[in-house]
Amino acid sequence: MSTGFTSPFGGNSNPFVRMETAGMQRVAEEDENDMITSPTTPSFGRTPASHNNGGGLFRSPFGADGASDTHMTGVGRPHLDPAGYPAQYNFGRRTSVSAESLKPPTGETYDNWTPPVHPKTAEQLQRLKEAMSGNFLFSHLDDEQTAQVLGALVEKPIPSKDIKVITQGDTGDFFYVVEKGSFDIYVSPTGKVEPGLDGAGRKVSTIGAGGSFGELALMYNAPRAATVISAEPNCTLWALDRMTFRRILMESTFARRRMYEGFLEEVPLLSSLTPYERSKIADALKSEKFPTGHTIIREGDPGDSFYLLVDGEAVALRNGDETPVKHYKKGDFFGELALLNDAPRAASVVSTTEVKVVSLGKSAFQRLLGPVESIMRRTKYVGVKTGVEEMDPLQIA
Amino acid sequence: MAATVAHSQQPLSPGGATSNGGGSSGGLHPLMAAAAANAAKQQQQQSQQRIDARNQEPFDLTSKKLCLADFQRVRTLGTGTFARVCLVRPSHGTEADRSKVYALKILRKTEVIKLKQIDHVRHERQILSDVSGHPFITSFQASFSDHEFLYIVLDYIPGGELFTYLRKYRRFDEDMAKFYAAEIVLVLEYLHEHQGGIAYRDMKPENLLLDADGHIKLVDFGFAKRLGNNQNDHPEETYTLCGTPEYLAPEVIHNKGHTTAVDWWALGILIYEFLTGYPPFWHSNPIEIYKQIVEKPVLFPQDPPISPEAKDIIRQFCTVDRSRRLGNISGGAARVKAHPFFRGVDWDAVMARKYKGPILPPVRYPGDAQCFDIYPEDDERREEYTDDMAERYDEYFKDF
Repeated sequence: MSTGFTSPFGGNSNPFVRMETAGMQRVAEEDENDMITSPTTPSFGRTPASHNNGGGLFRSPFGADGASDTHMTGVGRPHLDPAGYPAQYNFGRRTSVSAESLKPPTGETYDNWTPPVHPKTAEQLQRLKEAMSGNFLFSHLDDEQTAQVLGALVEKPIPSKDIKVITQGDTGDFFYVVEKGSFDIYVSPTGKVEPGLDGAGRKVSTIGAGGSFGELALMYNAPRAATVISAEPNCTLWALDRMTFRRILMESTFARRRMYEGFLEEVPLLSSLTPYERSKIADALKSEKFPTGHTIIREGDPGDSFYLLVDGEAVALRNGDETPVKHYKKGDFFGELALLNDAPRAASVVSTTEVKVVSLGKSAFQRLLGPVESIMRRTKYVGVKTGVEEMDPLQIA
Repeated sequence: MAATVAHSQQPLSPGGATSNGGGSSGGLHPLMAAAAANAAKQQQQQSQQRIDARNQEPFDLTSKKLCLADFQRVRTLGTGTFARVCLVRPSHGTEADRSKVYALKILRKTEVIKLKQIDHVRHERQILSDVSGHPFITSFQASFSDHEFLYIVLDYIPGGELFTYLRKYRRFDEDMAKFYAAEIVLVLEYLHEHQGGIAYRDMKPENLLLDADGHIKLVDFGFAKRLGNNQNDHPEETYTLCGTPEYLAPEVIHNKGHTTAVDWWALGILIYEFLTGYPPFWHSNPIEIYKQIVEKPVLFPQDPPISPEAKDIIRQFCTVDRSRRLGNISGGAARVKAHPFFRGVDWDAVMARKYKGPILPPVRYPGDAQCFDIYPEDDERREEYTDDMAERYDEYFKDF
């Protein structure tokens, strides 16, 4: 054990010179030319990324409408070289990324944060909506989140030409949408702006009204991959910072999940679920909106989903009778027997206002937690009073 | 013991130090500074006496006074944004003590604070000590801190990164992939189901080391987080985006709140990369990677041919809908183990490390570092950790 540090082989030069291959199974054939240098050398990689129709110029925070969509698509799937390897893939070590730690409000630290609201005209809102609609960072947001994000965008006048809005290599905290005017994008091959006249590098594109740039800054702090300079006087941008964006998403998601979990806790059929299981179910709930008078479930139909009423009101109707047999309000649930059996719906449920419901299919429930029956059978062990076992005639004796 | 600390209190010299590997450079790193002290001629004798004195003292990892001077650096094994991992050995103690080797992770407080990683670093320290002892996780030995740095002492795993072997061999055949994937499944089962819902959050070949027998050791718990999943714990999804671009799960990209399910997604990406040599979603621009992850299905190349079982398990892990993602659905890890991709795997034998790995790293002696790439030994000049910062932040680091 003490051979350690006086080894005559102390070189540590090439880790594979004496590679022991006795235990090695078949590996892919090797091409001498492919095994390049050490993966840590900066130039590691088979082909300079810049041969990749412009994509390589953008190793990082840039994207969206202005730059990426027009110049950088089409290389998403590997173009395989004859040895079955994607020619442009960078085979170096990949760096981890991390945003600022983002913690949901708790009892102790609840600080009643509300997102900033910067008023906008209806036309401005419409333009912003259009500008952001195709963007994958916004397209999955619900109406409330979208409204908050739109409200939080802040106007940033760029009065004259040649103002640097973002500088390649700098840290990035903001995403921008162009309201008015146009901006030129420059990329320097060294990854940062160099001194001198042409220090910003080559002009690669121009972004006009409705375009956007800097979206990676909404995910985490990464060096900007390009320099953006106003191309004319009197431009206007809308800006959104990462912390505001992420916090809007987190707060609403967090509040919604806690609300769902709270609702689920009130469902007797699910009373034996652990908080962990409820959390998983909350994860799988699907949100839907219906107008007034919509039949959410129909008497006689086979039941496959269970519903929670998140907003609005509804009634249960039977046998074509117009007098409701039951009223539902926020937090109430219906159709839960569908989780248990395939019996037809015993009543119709019709919305009496606009409603927001979340639903859970029997199949999703079973995928996550297994059969409902076995969940409910736990009841007697946990000692919950409302379980089905209590009502099981075999248990009463 | 106080006198020996003087080594690390050498004023850091500005400008580019050059490493000559001989241990006598004008280094900026504390370990370098310690070595530099020895180089100064007039101090040499004094130093020697000090070292002799130290050699008499026992080396004790559990000592409350553990400090940098208790270690001698052999060389750097890896570097990150705010951390460096070095191969070290005890600087004093019995001959048996001094023949031991450890991996010392050194984190710079100013960078940790600047990059807003305080929480992550605290979790790392706590979780590493909680999960220490699992056969496929690097073992925590001790931690300590000084004015500028935090230190974590870990077992040294000599085989190097699985990443290095994967790039060398370009891809693994299915039996190899299965061997490593099986060990990782056991790690995830342990973290998720037996350790109160710990999400690891940075699965990738770079974070898998091979030990001398070719078994996996998961390292770098910098993003690991305990989410809680027992009856009393209120389980919590978490919201901080972290991981490695190619391996991020869609719910992380969309900031939907994520859970341990992200590790199963990443395992799907990992198996894909084992079998093809590259991840399913890649691009030089990270934004394009993220777009693909949330919008595109995993597609497989014609060459190399991938078995239907492997394709199926990859697709089942890389499922956007978490209510359908293998590992997250009912049955958890047990369901993963029962998947046809793992047919024939004797899980008890895997846990017992009964068979040697398919790659036997060329490790010649316990402190051999030839399986690791060479990194520069000197740090760039960084911001000083001021007394003001110490006053403000040191309480967050008190567990070190």
